[in-house]
Amino acid sequence: MNGTKRRVAYGMLGIFIFLCIWHAAATLTNLGRIMPDPVTVFVRFFMAFIEPIGTKTMLFHILTSLRRMLIPYTLGGLAGVFMGVLMGWYRICDAAFMPYIQMLRPIPPIAWIPLSIVWFGFAEGSKYFLIFLACFFTIALTTCDGVHSVDETLVRAARMLGARDRQLFTTIVLPTTVPYIFSGLQVALGSAWATIVAAEMIRSSEGVGWLIVSGQDVGNMTQIMVGIVAIALTGLLITSMMRGVEARLCAWTIRGK
Amino acid sequence: MRMDNKRKINESLIAFHGVSKTFDKPGEGRYEVVRDLYLNVQENEFLVLFGPGQCGKSTILNMIAGFEAPSGGELLCQGRPVEGPGPERGMVFQNTALFPWLTVMGNVEYGPKVRGVKKEERRKQAQHYIDLVGLQGFENSYPVKLSGGMQQRVGIARAYCSEPLVMLLDEPFGHLDAQTRYLMQDELTRIWQVEKRTVIFVTNNIEEAVYLADRILVLRNCPTGVKAEYQITLPRPRNYTDPEFLRLRREIDAVVDHTL
Repeated sequence: MNGTKRRVAYGMLGIFIFLCIWHAAATLTNLGRIMPDPVTVFVRFFMAFIEPIGTKTMLFHILTSLRRMLIPYTLGGLAGVFMGVLMGWYRICDAAFMPYIQMLRPIPPIAWIPLSIVWFGFAEGSKYFLIFLACFFTIALTTCDGVHSVDETLVRAARMLGARDRQLFTTIVLPTTVPYIFSGLQVALGSAWATIVAAEMIRSSEGVGWLIVSGQDVGNMTQIMVGIVAIALTGLLITSMMRGVEARLCAWTIRGK
Repeated sequence: MRMDNKRKINESLIAFHGVSKTFDKPGEGRYEVVRDLYLNVQENEFLVLFGPGQCGKSTILNMIAGFEAPSGGELLCQGRPVEGPGPERGMVFQNTALFPWLTVMGNVEYGPKVRGVKKEERRKQAQHYIDLVGLQGFENSYPVKLSGGMQQRVGIARAYCSEPLVMLLDEPFGHLDAQTRYLMQDELTRIWQVEKRTVIFVTNNIEEAVYLADRILVLRNCPTGVKAEYQITLPRPRNYTDPEFLRLRREIDAVVDHTL
């Protein structure tokens, strides 16, 4: 058995043991009153693909939330990369913008909810705003780090071989920065997806975050757990897909590790 | 005498005419690395700059490469002042400085590529130098997959592929283990004999210096300048244990300033 298979096997075993303990705790002890057992949760979760929760099925909830996340994530990613390159390449941009980024970054997206409602209303705009904030700063900072990490000897080598300024940027600075951008995108994807619950606390009638919020409103414990499971599994799926893309695009760093 | 000196400078490929270099380090004041250096490099000669560590050898090379500008004096390449780096002066770096995101082929063809040589032509050119340094079969490997010696072969092929007038090698085998180092010295001699170029090779290893050089310049400690000059006329391939080799080695080593 090779290393990867063994890792997966141990991971599965860990999950199985966890589910067993959860199940035992929920069915054999009093904890069952505050916590549905995993079988109920997963049955409800998979049933939801056929039988709607609220007015929509599970697939619709997941896709709605994914769309809500991906649009501002893409915008935040583009803006973040642009900002990061500006700050990394031009010292004056670094001096001018870094203080704002360092100040605004630690504010949790949830703190912006009241303001975002005032600014962008109850519809999609305010949700996009929150998720944009959740990814923009991280991506800008990691991109900036990437540009700063450019090896001076490689720049010398490129210039010695005849590269002009624009070529230096595309053939040396950009390839150095790509792995940094990807690690930023990876972290930001996690935070963007995590922010979906906060975003859907602003009025919504569908989405995985809404499952939790409405579950809380009607006191339906199983529905809350189903929402959590939906977020967890979708999160796992999208971050793995992201790793796959990274492995293809940054083959040289992955192989180097 | 003066006229003669002037003519000699004009004829040399590289000429240092009273060159000095000082660095201004913030908080540490001025630091003089090279003082009043006169040096001529002839076409197709294998020149070794030999001196103690940190004596300013690399600074001399960096000035020829155009990475650093002299603080005083005149530095000419083919009679024209050196202004910035260019493909006619090819550097092989101590830490290889290969582009890790490019394959061996990508690294070697980088020079012609950024200078706008068509794909077909530059591939042919790059393949020629990859073959020359003995890396056929590794065209699509990434540098991290190669051993230290092979990486430096890529570095040599990359510099060669721009068909430079002069090759600058900055302690290129300094990081290699002894066995690989001997092998690479042989290889470099072979490559140089196949494709003659002017070579300026920096090292702090006396054995390497005597093994490779047509001419050795022994450099002084900082601020550096030429302390002694030796023509090495031993036939190639040379033998490390040949009595004449050993005698030269002892003689030159005695001149070197070993104080720190």
